[in-house]
Amino acid sequence: MKNSIYILLFVFFLSACDKGFEELNVNPTKPVQVSLATKLTAAQKFMSSERYDNWRANLIYQSTMMQHLAVTAGYWAGDKYTWNKGYASSLIDRYYPNVIKSLEDMKVQMEEENSPEEMRAIVRIMRVFVFARLTDLYGDVPYSEAGQAFISGILTPKYDAQSEIYPDLLKELEESAAALGTGTSAFGNADLIYQGNQTKWKKLANSLMLRLGLRLIKRDPAAAEAWATKAIAGGVMESNEDIFYLQHDVNNRNGNSEAFDADGNQRLSKTFVDFLQGDPRLPILASRRSDGSTAPADLKGLPNGLDSELLLAATGEEDTSLYAEPSDIITFFEAPMFFQTYAEVEFMLAEAAVRWNLAGGDPEPHYNAGVRAAMKMLELYGPDAVIADAEIDAYLAANPFDAANALEQINTQYWAATFLNEYEAFANWRRTGFPNLVPVNYPGNVTNGTIPRRLTYSESEQSNNPENYQAAIAAQGPDLLTTRVWWDVE
Amino acid sequence: MFKKNHYYLMFFAIFFIQGLVAQDVTITGTVTDDLGSPLPGVNVVEKGTTNGTSTDFDGNYAIDVANLNGSLVFSSLGFSSKEVAINGQTIINVGLVEDAEQLGEVVVTALGIRKETKALGYSLTEVGGEELSTVKQTNAINSLQGKVAGVNITQNATGAAGSSRVVIRGASSLSGDNMPLYIVDGIPIGNENNGSAGLWGGSDGGDGISSINPDDIASVSVLKGGAASALYGSRAAGGVIIVTTKSGQGQEGFGVELSSSVTFDEVDTSLQDFQREYGQGTRGRKPVNQSEALDLGLSSWGARLDGTPVVQWDGVERPYSYVGSNLKHFYRTGTTFINTVALTSGSEKLSYRFSASDLANKDVMPNAGLDRKTFSLNSSAILGEKITSQVNVKYINEDVQNRPRLSDAPGNGNFTVANLSPNVDVRFMNPGTNPDGTERQYSNNTFSQNPYFAAYSFRNEDTKNRLIASTTLRYDITDWLYLSGRAGIDHSTIKRTSVEPFGTAYKPLGGINEEERRYTQIDADVILGFEKDITEKFATSAFVGANSNHIKQEQLNLGGNSFIVPGLEDIANTETQSRSRGYSERKIGSLYGSVELSYDRWAYVTFTGRNDWFSTLSFPGKTTPNDDFYPSVNASVIISDALDLAEPVSFLKLRGGYSEVAGGAQDAYALALTYEIFGQGFLGQPTGRVNGGTVPNSNLVPFSKTEAEIGLDARFFNNRLSLDFAYYNNETTKDIVDVSTSIFSGYGGAKANIGRVENKGVEFLLSGSPIKTDNFTWTTSINGAYNQGKVLATNDSNADVNLDEPRTRNVRITHIVGEAYGTIVGVSYDRDENGTIKYTINGDGVPIAVEGERKILGEGVPPWTFGFNNSFRYKNFNLNFLIDGKFGGQIFSGTNTIVYGNGLHKETLEGRENGLSVSGIDADTGQPFTTTVAPEFLQTYYGEINDIAEEFVEDSDYIKFRQVSLGYTLPKKTLENIFLTNVNISVIASNLFYLKRSVDNIDPESAYNVGNSQGLEYFGVPSTRSFGLNVNVKF
Repeated sequence: MKNSIYILLFVFFLSACDKGFEELNVNPTKPVQVSLATKLTAAQKFMSSERYDNWRANLIYQSTMMQHLAVTAGYWAGDKYTWNKGYASSLIDRYYPNVIKSLEDMKVQMEEENSPEEMRAIVRIMRVFVFARLTDLYGDVPYSEAGQAFISGILTPKYDAQSEIYPDLLKELEESAAALGTGTSAFGNADLIYQGNQTKWKKLANSLMLRLGLRLIKRDPAAAEAWATKAIAGGVMESNEDIFYLQHDVNNRNGNSEAFDADGNQRLSKTFVDFLQGDPRLPILASRRSDGSTAPADLKGLPNGLDSELLLAATGEEDTSLYAEPSDIITFFEAPMFFQTYAEVEFMLAEAAVRWNLAGGDPEPHYNAGVRAAMKMLELYGPDAVIADAEIDAYLAANPFDAANALEQINTQYWAATFLNEYEAFANWRRTGFPNLVPVNYPGNVTNGTIPRRLTYSESEQSNNPENYQAAIAAQGPDLLTTRVWWDVE
Repeated sequence: MFKKNHYYLMFFAIFFIQGLVAQDVTITGTVTDDLGSPLPGVNVVEKGTTNGTSTDFDGNYAIDVANLNGSLVFSSLGFSSKEVAINGQTIINVGLVEDAEQLGEVVVTALGIRKETKALGYSLTEVGGEELSTVKQTNAINSLQGKVAGVNITQNATGAAGSSRVVIRGASSLSGDNMPLYIVDGIPIGNENNGSAGLWGGSDGGDGISSINPDDIASVSVLKGGAASALYGSRAAGGVIIVTTKSGQGQEGFGVELSSSVTFDEVDTSLQDFQREYGQGTRGRKPVNQSEALDLGLSSWGARLDGTPVVQWDGVERPYSYVGSNLKHFYRTGTTFINTVALTSGSEKLSYRFSASDLANKDVMPNAGLDRKTFSLNSSAILGEKITSQVNVKYINEDVQNRPRLSDAPGNGNFTVANLSPNVDVRFMNPGTNPDGTERQYSNNTFSQNPYFAAYSFRNEDTKNRLIASTTLRYDITDWLYLSGRAGIDHSTIKRTSVEPFGTAYKPLGGINEEERRYTQIDADVILGFEKDITEKFATSAFVGANSNHIKQEQLNLGGNSFIVPGLEDIANTETQSRSRGYSERKIGSLYGSVELSYDRWAYVTFTGRNDWFSTLSFPGKTTPNDDFYPSVNASVIISDALDLAEPVSFLKLRGGYSEVAGGAQDAYALALTYEIFGQGFLGQPTGRVNGGTVPNSNLVPFSKTEAEIGLDARFFNNRLSLDFAYYNNETTKDIVDVSTSIFSGYGGAKANIGRVENKGVEFLLSGSPIKTDNFTWTTSINGAYNQGKVLATNDSNADVNLDEPRTRNVRITHIVGEAYGTIVGVSYDRDENGTIKYTINGDGVPIAVEGERKILGEGVPPWTFGFNNSFRYKNFNLNFLIDGKFGGQIFSGTNTIVYGNGLHKETLEGRENGLSVSGIDADTGQPFTTTVAPEFLQTYYGEINDIAEEFVEDSDYIKFRQVSLGYTLPKKTLENIFLTNVNISVIASNLFYLKRSVDNIDPESAYNVGNSQGLEYFGVPSTRSFGLNVNVKF
């Protein structure tokens, strides 16, 4: 009799064995969904990204390849055209798991919530920007299947050919621009860049269309002209009020600034400082490492492609602290991060005018407006970075538009205006060949003394996505710094 | 068990009565042990007959024999049997000698049940507490190294407060932690790893098992196979280690035990053998000024050391000559004091043992150390006629000062000390701070830390308070039926502060992190048990039970960046702050049962079954099962008892078993995608995103591990020689795996549920007592194991599972289908079909090795392990030593890679004077070439080779003289007149030297984390040698 009590006891335990387990395994600290607004803010943060890739891909590689910066330290691989695979792939390594994953996730949510077209258009434009930055830097990249591991179970996306990505990006811009109205988007202030201002997003869509259209100039000049025409007709940026940039804050620091804070080896390139002679931007962008002086006479640029010994041999000088570095005025943690500026747009209009008689047909006013905007926009760095109109006038008087050398002049100014947005400087240099950079030939470089034409894929792809990786190489060429992307016709 | 003996006594009595009719000679006597104490319960048998008796409480016996020319056999558990010829005597007094081999024959098995080893159908190894407390380790579990076949232990290279990886019979889960379940005094304790170093550095946060005081341990049982652990359920899939702490049982009256030990640790500088001929510099010349010395940092590509004054990083000129071992200069002699006092008391109804222990450690790393205080109370009481109880409580307080940073260079002083040029003396970097408190940099690379700044200015300290308590109640319902209940709790709180100080070169404004971790595990069992002899020969015992296990973890973090007031390291004194909270809770519910049948004490068979329900596999609306039932069976046959085997066989047992264990997902909340609001918002706007980088799987079902084992236990020559052998084969199916995905997919991994891993292996223990006299004994044993793991499946496309990579990022531990568990995959040389290395010739004519594909370069876990134990006793002296080794594995040496590039590796000496001749294939032309690399370009040549991981994956084989101890026990006679009952003094030494070591410059066992990525070495704290003294006094 007594035993049956124990049996009953066990039956009780049996029924209790997984009581409450289902609820217990619901994470009490994480929501099952968050609002699109919070995701947009995060996506903009991820688009500007963090120290990791700004340091590696943007600064260590591209800023030195573009001779904005120069460094004697050996690990700044771009200064010497050596190959550090982890640095080279750093944009992929941050963009896909962060901003692309977020944007793809937002697309699904907007579908589920039947979000208004203008919200979708804003997300689509951002998506175009990030994919354009990726494909410009790496060439063929996963696009149609990217960032969808959870959404559609694609764990090993295929690489899309740049020749197929570009038309889709341009089509996305066209459709997005058409979908945008005039009022404020439902994103409102969650949109840190334009506060939901649809008009500005629309101008951005067209300005990016102009940028991507011009990229095709060597591959398909007719298409380049057609897209430039369409972009200009649609309405591009009209003032520094329209600049596509992100203001950073103390908790969400500018990645370039963070890299400068941690590194300290970066100096302004001799190439860049030489260009900035007599330019009012020089004392804002640069200061002497040793004592912080911003007097133009004290600001000396460091030649690219040298280590300490070669520097000594080349200049008789070995103390790198006597050279100029990016100044505190522009490298504070809350500094803005620029993605596309009105100045760039004006320079592109100038080029469109030169090439195709577009944008009024006269390049000079666009050139002047571009230079003025490039100098004026530094105000966004704060009161120490304000350049008086008189100084700009003087600069333009000393450096007037030169119709005989228009493309070089315009695109060299474009290069100066994209300082620290090295992704754009590098892409535009490959597109136009300007500025006319003299390559370095550091011992042990892997490019045979030529400036790299792209950066390389993540090494993990060789084991985690081998078939698609091999297919991409077969289509595009070897995964090397010297391989050219599709639009970069030799 | 005790009851069964009574039956045997009864059988003997019956025979005895039967024999009365014919027998007429009675032999009497007393059986004593070697100290002269009477031995009760000794079996006394007339040889060749079934006639027998046993001694009474005073060791007396009386037996009637028919044949006065025959002989009597005296046997008792724990003693060597003795055969005495009667030769007409009627009074025979016998002394039995303790048999160390046999003493361990009653072992602690699953659920705390003590069993005779002969009844076990599986492999179990028990290690006595004295083996752990003689040569004490701050983490007692490390003392098992080399002592138990099939147990593979790796300690992190981080000093006294570090964690250890323990894997039994090979890792069987691709993503799970593969560590055994630790049971302390009947209840599972947490062995959570509280932080580990990875690719970007970090420090080891210690683990759970390291808290147990070695002086308190009575025994450690290692249940290796699945059969052994079926009763502990899913968490025992990696085997079980049962730690039983000392109790007051067996103590008569009141006793006090004091033990004191001191250990000195010294960095073993003999491992590192770098070049001492060329100093800091570049291209064969010295630095020309301070600025260049700072630029060159750790580059040893300078000129031949010539003693001339050369400027260094601080602008001071010093002779350009070898400054001696910087390891010796930087690291200090570590000390560890362990003092334990234990009070024991025993009476018929109540016994207890209380101990208090203090461990004070100063690590070899300056300013690092560990203080641990342990209080432990074990009591058992007979509360009534049918009720017994046990209560065990431990309170542990641990203070760790400055856990050293490992792996990547930032904050890791080990990195700098190992890499300094031969002419740069680390001591000049002391102090690590400038007068304004900022770091004194010796290099322009901000991430190369001044080691004194790392040691004295960085902070990484934590305090752990831990309570482990358990209670057991047993109620005997009838004399064959009992009900017992047991509940236990393991609760700990860790408070940790880590600071990157103001003035850190790579983080000028500094930062602070405050963290609190809380862990609670509650485990409860109810068991209804049955023990009955059904017939004279058939006995049975059985039980059914239910278990509930509940684990809660919570983690609070406060982070602050950029100190405002320099020097004040407080979270409020920072410009930006972040905070986060992590929480997880999981439960397992179980029902289980076991039936053991035995026949005539020579045949045993045990069946078990268990069903586990997992909260980590439950989710609202989920339809796939969250539970699994798994059975086991094992059997043993004592052939030597069943058949009358002739000498030299004294014992022969065959055993075999088959088991299954199921398990759930290791972590909670892995079934559904969630989102999170993260960070501090951005310009006042909240930021949201997908939570986590792994694609969840909503249909996860339990994994299953099956294991088959057969074994043999044979003893010869009156137990003087014995062999224990086991063969096993286990396979995990439906393993829950984080399969690596393409970075382009947006996620780093995806949870799959179809992983398969198999392990096959053999284990043996051969032991003997070659010499055994009253004054001198020598016992020796050799244990060995071979395990080969193999990955059979990962997900539906059998994608690789990527584990960790070291900071060089040219090599990674990866699970690849069809290969060994955890292969080392890295950049190889590009070779032509004849194996000749391809180079590209750069503009200076330097051949640059072409990086080939990433391929399998080795396996990180050595498949072969062995230990060789020897113990000598001469009168009151004891000498023990242990040699152990591992074979067949490989290790990637980050140290050798980096020092190769820095020109510190001895191989980089070649060519420094006259250039280096290099032959190979020119990759551009496909033609062979031979060229001479000029001395000034050697750093380019060698610096490119150090990207080739193949060059730095080497065999990790070793044979190590692990430990030796010499002890002296004061003779009883000396103690007779004083109040002491036992005094033992021993001197010990450990990690003395290698008898064989395949890899240069590093400890082949060095590792920087205890996860599944074994086989990576990267600038941990150097290995140490230890010397010490133990004193143990009882009164």
